[in-house]
Amino acid sequence: MDDKSRQEIIDARKLAQEGSINARNLIRSISDTGSFDEYGALATSDDDSDGNYYSDGLICGIASVNDKSVAIAAYDRGIHNGTQTDRNMRKLAKMIYLAQKNRWPFIIFLEGDGARRDEPLLPPPIINYTRARWDVLEGLTELSGWVPTISIVTGDSHDGHAAIAFLTDLVIATKGSSIGSINATRVTSRSSEELANRGEVDVIADDTVDAIRTCKSLLSLWYESVNEFEEPDEAANISSIVPPNRRRQYDMRKVINAFADKNSTLEVGSRWGSSMVTAFAKLYGRSVGIIANQPMSARAGAIDSAAADKASRFIECCDSYGFPLISFIDNPGYMVGPEAEAEGMARHHARPLAALHHRNVPLYSVQIRKAYGLGPYAMSGFGTSRHVPDLRLAWPSVESAGMSLEGAAYLVKRREIKAASTPQEAREIRDLYAEEMRDASSGLNAGRTFSFDDIILPEETRPRIARHLIRTPRRIPSRKVRPIDPK
Amino acid sequence: MDETPLTRLKSAKTKRFDSARPDAVAKVHDSGHLTARERIANLLDPETAVEFGSIAAIDTEGNWVPEYGGVDFIGQVNNQPVIASSSDYTDKGGGYGGGRLEHLIALSQQHRWPMVLFVDGGGSRARHPRTGLGHTELSGQFGRYTHFDGMAQLSGWVPTIAIVAGPSFAGHASIAGFSDFVIATKGSAIGMGGPPMVEAALGLSLTPNELAGAEMHDKLGGIDLLVDSDAEAIKAAKRYLSYFEDNASGELPERSLSNELPTTAHEEDHIFSIIRSLIDAGSYFELRPSFATTVTTGLARVNGKTIGLLANNSFIRNGEIDESAATKTARFVELCDSYEFPILSILDSIGAVTSWAEGATGVIATEPGLSRSHTRALMAHQHRTVPLISIQIGKAGGFSGHIMCGSPTGHTSPLASFAWPNAEIGSIDGFSATRNMNAFDDVIEPAETRKNIANLLNLLPSQSERRSLISEKKHSVDTW
Repeated sequence: MDDKSRQEIIDARKLAQEGSINARNLIRSISDTGSFDEYGALATSDDDSDGNYYSDGLICGIASVNDKSVAIAAYDRGIHNGTQTDRNMRKLAKMIYLAQKNRWPFIIFLEGDGARRDEPLLPPPIINYTRARWDVLEGLTELSGWVPTISIVTGDSHDGHAAIAFLTDLVIATKGSSIGSINATRVTSRSSEELANRGEVDVIADDTVDAIRTCKSLLSLWYESVNEFEEPDEAANISSIVPPNRRRQYDMRKVINAFADKNSTLEVGSRWGSSMVTAFAKLYGRSVGIIANQPMSARAGAIDSAAADKASRFIECCDSYGFPLISFIDNPGYMVGPEAEAEGMARHHARPLAALHHRNVPLYSVQIRKAYGLGPYAMSGFGTSRHVPDLRLAWPSVESAGMSLEGAAYLVKRREIKAASTPQEAREIRDLYAEEMRDASSGLNAGRTFSFDDIILPEETRPRIARHLIRTPRRIPSRKVRPIDPK
Repeated sequence: MDETPLTRLKSAKTKRFDSARPDAVAKVHDSGHLTARERIANLLDPETAVEFGSIAAIDTEGNWVPEYGGVDFIGQVNNQPVIASSSDYTDKGGGYGGGRLEHLIALSQQHRWPMVLFVDGGGSRARHPRTGLGHTELSGQFGRYTHFDGMAQLSGWVPTIAIVAGPSFAGHASIAGFSDFVIATKGSAIGMGGPPMVEAALGLSLTPNELAGAEMHDKLGGIDLLVDSDAEAIKAAKRYLSYFEDNASGELPERSLSNELPTTAHEEDHIFSIIRSLIDAGSYFELRPSFATTVTTGLARVNGKTIGLLANNSFIRNGEIDESAATKTARFVELCDSYEFPILSILDSIGAVTSWAEGATGVIATEPGLSRSHTRALMAHQHRTVPLISIQIGKAGGFSGHIMCGSPTGHTSPLASFAWPNAEIGSIDGFSATRNMNAFDDVIEPAETRKNIANLLNLLPSQSERRSLISEKKHSVDTW
């Protein structure tokens, strides 16, 4: 090789390394030092053939994060507003290809204005071109349910960038970033926070450092790379979280934190469907997914359409990741009333039921207090059907019924109640019978009827489920079973 | 006459018939509905029915106790096997058919027999918890599916049709929710919690229809079709089932397309008149017609062959695709893919939009943008294996091409991508921009469109051949 061509390469590479600093920094901060192998550093779009914009605004390659492989890409807003060209989309498509073939997680930092406007647009398919932007969208749908795909929205992301985000499993967005659309006359963007409130964005991060930390925790869950674990701080006090007075509410997040390994929970979708909590976590070092009702929420844990959608998508996600599911149950059933029905409760309610039915991962359920009507089904599948929880536990505070016990008592004793001479007397008749039923479905009686595999003390929950978990090695399906429904 | 086991059985069975319960029948008729038995008699071909579950129990005196909660049958509709079940609302708010639903679901699963279920009722009856939830006790881990997980299992494998003619709440509404195709009569209701529960929980005193009316669901997508009466509902169910067989020959369209190109959609009927000119006369059976109307979805025939038809209605808001329209599209693609209906997609949309409530007024306004509901349609297209033919007759802005047809070059790309010469290309948004003329397999005249579609459909195996090649279900049809 002659010296001239050698020098040309060296110069070009140096130029490339000096460009797209933002994107390079992002990749540098997430990946292990020296582990990044770049693809297409010298690629430029046809407009930039002078080589001023090497990499064409998209830095991508393969890297290690805590010694585990990922395919990774980052747009750089400094280059043509981070826009997408035929060439940089081909680079991205290559990353998706590598992620698919090697089953590597796919990570992308997003910021940019969709397609580059002045680029001569090439129609697919032309013989000597791969299919570029098309391969990105269909590639991402292929990855769904096969490898974890994570997007980190670091700034304003429009059109094609938004499409990429909404095709990934987990969307992490930094505060102040936005997602929307842009055209020659108008920008229509919404803040990522606003979008998180309707379940379009999963996690809002304070800044890129925080976003990277979240991304790394999901990766460590996928790879189950850390085997040591610490007991949660509150493990010994778990039974004090739930007040003895059953009318007093509590924060289900506290139960989760006292149950899972110390500092291991990664809550997703915390800003919407607030009566349902969904969180990835670890238990004795094993990765798990937790679905839980939130008594301390506007709808007091009643499962509305948003909560049902949120749970169902999370269940599908855990199922494809091979994460066993743990369900903490305390709900009065599905949300009722005209508002909930208008939200399509009659159709949305079936989504977590269908997702639980089609799951392959084990499910461990813990009923803390109440579960009325279809409430226990929504959280653990159908009581006695073909896909039962592997372990169905309850705390002594458990109570179960087809509907709220007071409501059921009212219906059963309606005649006597209506005949009562005072409202006080009517309430007493109702409550007496409700208490009788509560007693029949609570504590020891719940164990006697084998409604549960065991009634346990709260502090036994963690070791009991962990012992079961240890006997069931993680089973990641060897072929893709289904995509994860985006919504 | 001496009582023999036979006479005792006969007398018990006789009590089940409508003729033996004039008061109950009158009550049903007064409410404008048909009795459980009348519904099934209307639905099934004469002399084809086998009844299941007519006897509920034998009492302590040795008498047969008839089952009043509803009726279960296996029979035929237009010579095709169908399982039919109806609850009987007159009996304590209706049971789950004649109590044999679990068994029938197992048969449906094994033999791929479609289900038609009349599900008015109030869910499982309130019982003392010591007895458990009753209806789930029939099954077990190694037993049959219950009617809940059974419905989840059937979804995408055999067609399930729910007819709601009356109030349907809790467990009954759940069965409707799981069904592929939900028909409801005007004045009916479908909800998770019935009026007594709502009164107890929220202190609201509402009629079933005020609480969760079929008319409301019709607008918001909770049902697939709103009809006037039980008889209309049965007719619709039969019509839906008829699309699961191709006809040997088709009828000519109601009108033929002149070679005049539609410029813009000035008339409400715009897209529907184009549809009518492409398909067999009278064959368009629109699903969810009042919901997310910028997209129309339905079953149709071309030369007798069933297709799933998907089209933008650009008369309404330029055919923009909001979250609801995207969801409607995605679910429809899942449905067509599950049952092997080739899809014809007619593209004319300004693009994807998201909906936002404006400030204090709360009026919903849309703006260009994407959501996860939109990518759900991309996901559905990329995972379908049933062929799709696309025709662009106008705009294809902002991702609408992907949402309506899937990727033009993916492994499930259209069998053929046609355009009429007035198709607008080169729109300025990112992804759609690359749709230039080379993206089409051919640019054709309106008048030759039907022939091209028919010729391509002729190359494909019939839907039933395709179904028989598939030994396990591909995927469910999402309930939403």
